[in-house]
Amino acid sequence: MMDADMDVPMQDAVSDQLNPSIMEDSGTALQHTVSNTNDNNSNNNNNISSSNNNHNSNTHGTNSNDNDEDDDDTYNDIEFKPGSSGIADHKSSKPLVLNNSSINQLDSWIEKLAKCENLSEDDVGRLCKMAVDVLQFEENVKPINVPVTICGDVHGQFHDLMELFKIGGPCPDTNYLFMGDYVDRGYYSVETVSYLVAMKVRYPHRITILRGNHESRQITQVYGFYDECLRKYGSANVWKMFTDLFDYFPITALVDNKVFCLHGGLSPMIETVDQVRELNRVQEVPHEGPMCDLLWSDPDDRGGWGISPRGAGFTFGQDISEQFNHTNDLSLVARAHQLVMEGYAWSHQQNVVTIFSAPNYCYRCGNQAAIMEVDENNNRQFLQYDPSVRPGEPTVSRKTPDYFL
Amino acid sequence: MNSAMVGSGTGENAAGGADSAVNATGTGENNDLYPLALLMDELKHDDIANRVEAMKKLDTIALALGTERTRDELIPFLTEVAQDDEDEVFAVLAEELGKFVSFVGGDKYATVLLPALEILASTEETLVRDKAVESLNSVSLELSQQQIFDDFTPLIEHLATADWFSSRVSACGLFRSVIVRVKEDSLRKNLLALYLQLVQDDTPMVKRAAAKNLPSIIDLLTQNPDLSTSDDWDYISNMFQSIISDNQDSVKFLAVDCLIAILKFFNVKGEKAHLKDLLESAIKLITDEAWRVRYMAAERFESLASQFVTEPEFIKELVPPFLRLCEDNEGDVRKAIAEQIPGFATLLNDSDLVITKIIPAVQNLSMDENEAVRASLALNITNLVTLMSKEEGITHLLPILLNMLKDEFPEVRLNIIANLKVINDVIGVDLLAESLLPAITELANDVNWRVRMAIIDYTPVLAEHLGVDFFNQHLSDLCLSWLWDTVYSIREDAVKNLTKLAQIFGPDWCRDEIISRLLKFDSQLLENFIYRFTLLSALTALVPVVSTDAVTEQVLPFVKHLTDDAVPNIRFSAAKSYAVIVEALVKGGNTTYLPLIKETIIPSLEKLTQDTDVDVKYFAGVSLKKCQSLLP
Repeated sequence: MMDADMDVPMQDAVSDQLNPSIMEDSGTALQHTVSNTNDNNSNNNNNISSSNNNHNSNTHGTNSNDNDEDDDDTYNDIEFKPGSSGIADHKSSKPLVLNNSSINQLDSWIEKLAKCENLSEDDVGRLCKMAVDVLQFEENVKPINVPVTICGDVHGQFHDLMELFKIGGPCPDTNYLFMGDYVDRGYYSVETVSYLVAMKVRYPHRITILRGNHESRQITQVYGFYDECLRKYGSANVWKMFTDLFDYFPITALVDNKVFCLHGGLSPMIETVDQVRELNRVQEVPHEGPMCDLLWSDPDDRGGWGISPRGAGFTFGQDISEQFNHTNDLSLVARAHQLVMEGYAWSHQQNVVTIFSAPNYCYRCGNQAAIMEVDENNNRQFLQYDPSVRPGEPTVSRKTPDYFL
Repeated sequence: MNSAMVGSGTGENAAGGADSAVNATGTGENNDLYPLALLMDELKHDDIANRVEAMKKLDTIALALGTERTRDELIPFLTEVAQDDEDEVFAVLAEELGKFVSFVGGDKYATVLLPALEILASTEETLVRDKAVESLNSVSLELSQQQIFDDFTPLIEHLATADWFSSRVSACGLFRSVIVRVKEDSLRKNLLALYLQLVQDDTPMVKRAAAKNLPSIIDLLTQNPDLSTSDDWDYISNMFQSIISDNQDSVKFLAVDCLIAILKFFNVKGEKAHLKDLLESAIKLITDEAWRVRYMAAERFESLASQFVTEPEFIKELVPPFLRLCEDNEGDVRKAIAEQIPGFATLLNDSDLVITKIIPAVQNLSMDENEAVRASLALNITNLVTLMSKEEGITHLLPILLNMLKDEFPEVRLNIIANLKVINDVIGVDLLAESLLPAITELANDVNWRVRMAIIDYTPVLAEHLGVDFFNQHLSDLCLSWLWDTVYSIREDAVKNLTKLAQIFGPDWCRDEIISRLLKFDSQLLENFIYRFTLLSALTALVPVVSTDAVTEQVLPFVKHLTDDAVPNIRFSAAKSYAVIVEALVKGGNTTYLPLIKETIIPSLEKLTQDTDVDVKYFAGVSLKKCQSLLP
């Protein structure tokens, strides 16, 4: 197994005071946030801390009966009901075809977003409606041609996403496949996800955006996207629109029929790629079952299936990945979901690769990021990179902060 | 005190005003009151975000109410709000009120804004106070002499003598609005006496704020050199003595800027009597035992020394303390002084001293253990060459620069290379070439792509200095190799670099040395679409700078070949290239190539508009439209 099993370096790197914000995702946190949302939406800070308290006082792997109750509680509240944003109320029966005015509109949005300026709430609504009509027609297993550049978690680190395009080349000149986790943790989740969705609508054949475990109503309430929307727009509307849109994101992709790409990992309930095609993916990420596993599982040194310390998904051993690749005539499973210090890490004797594209994750982990270029002859090359250099910020500095004076 | 009465007076009004507005909301009879009622509802909203949003719309509300009711109802109401809400709301209110003079009916009524701002300037939150001070200063610009006297000065006095330190900190920021507007000497003296009290306050926060604001107050007196009296300067001198002998470093280091401001005043006045004393103060600061004070002195060294420019002897007296800073045991101090060397050497205006005293210090700093110090030195040290003859430069400076070109830290090498122009002007770059080439090659292969990028950006400058023969012999391979870098931005920059080189060396050079070599390129590499894309971008970028023959004979066939590429990204890039080619071919009304365009390019583009890929179709369509618009 890779030396960078995410939980370990994360907790080492993180001192206590930041623990609540940086604690690795876990099913337990996921299950308890939502129960608190009824208290008071505006008072989200309390929400977060109480959810983490719950988290700390619980052992991993809470039993799932609790979840169901929480679930019911949650959706009694109209505010948090899937679909309440209305972006999918008038879905088209055919894939979206862009006309000149929509192209101009998208180009102007993209230009604005590239400067890290967010769109107005109305424009986000328009964008999400268009995106529904693109994404709803994509398959659960989205077929992708080579050449393509495969990327992992971004987590709201907008400037590092721009750095990614500096390394790999701009879209649409380069084709991209992102494997989820665009929001939470970083300071610019809104800009990051708006930019990627706008690119997706403008160039649907040049970029693919899969769903990660953070593209979910429940997780985003704990790890930052919900609060960021509230702070930047003054209401949860934008959050509602994006989380409603997330339900339509494809969950896996198949590059040239050889590389199976997804956010988390394999599921004991999925033996063939065809079984993924049969899932109904348009829903909130469930707490268990095949769709949950695809977004939550991790490879592990131990063989067979294991209980995941995250409280959702499973761990799977080399025997599992070898069998899966053999059954489906694949050469590789490419996934993201875990911090790896070099930006990419092989596991299971090159049956699985982990790609992580958020350098210096959470602005403090000190890791490199990486992307994987697959050329038209299926040659693979990893490109590693460091955090972007922000203009105006000193690169070398040891000035004493003012509060020491 | 006057302002206290004003404050309490409006307090009562505020209560009345708010009541009447509340009544209006309750009855809802009067539609005119709707905006205010709405605002007040929002301002009472449980959610702080709503209250902040409501505050941001204050100007709209004021406009809707008109000036009289803004004065009579809104402002008293806001004065009350300013005493009971959250800091986020205060911050917005403090900012908005600064722009409110026109809403209350102009300068005549501007003083109604002061009570609310005074309260905000006394809050504990720094952000709120800063905004309130800023707003008070901008409101003060609109006040008349009388209003300054009757209302604004008492407000300052009130804040400056308040019990709680936060008010006194705010007061420090307000003196600059009044100090030169007070024409009566006695009044100004009182203000300065009050300021001295703040400088000598018990709390360090107040002392710091007072010391920080002092230079801007002195600068104002400098701009009005005949205004201040010697009494005033006694106060200022006392303030300075207080600051420079403070036992806290965080106050003392602010004396450097105060000293510079004081020196500026005396220079403007042409008074030299105090210069000697002030020089001693300067030396005291430069050699202070606190590193933070020395750091500040080092960072401002050139600006400080330049104040003594009328007395060359005094500048020479600064040499020993200057050299001590160069040998300081704090890296940050050395880093700061390293940047000031050429500036100070210029002021010294004595090439013997530069060579005997400054050069040895430079030599030491160039081998400093701290890489940040060396990088800072490299930033503009090449400018020293202008202060000496060519021979002296070769003997004394060149060896140091050559060593720095071999520094293990890339930033040092880059900074030197970035500033080679001045060396070239004085001693010629040939002498550097031998050391330069290995330095460039090494930077060109640095693992950090931004270092590679930086050296690419310098190559056009080097190319100009070194000439075409040297370039062809030593650098052209390097320039082409950057095209095959793994990082997109390097490839992109390499393409731009070729265009710049083509502009320097001309179209023939470009055809023979670049295009021909590119087209002979290793076909195995081109199996990867990334490199086909790069080659296409390079050739397209060169189209505007080479001859049309080269375009039609060399570039066009390659582009046409790529329109059948298996990768859609290549096909639409080829479609984009066509537009660039056509633009170059018809430039200046040239009709020679019209048949070629109509028979080859247009049909090829039309074919691409029928492509299976939607993006190829789109970009081919855009290109086709552009080509057709270019044709006569």
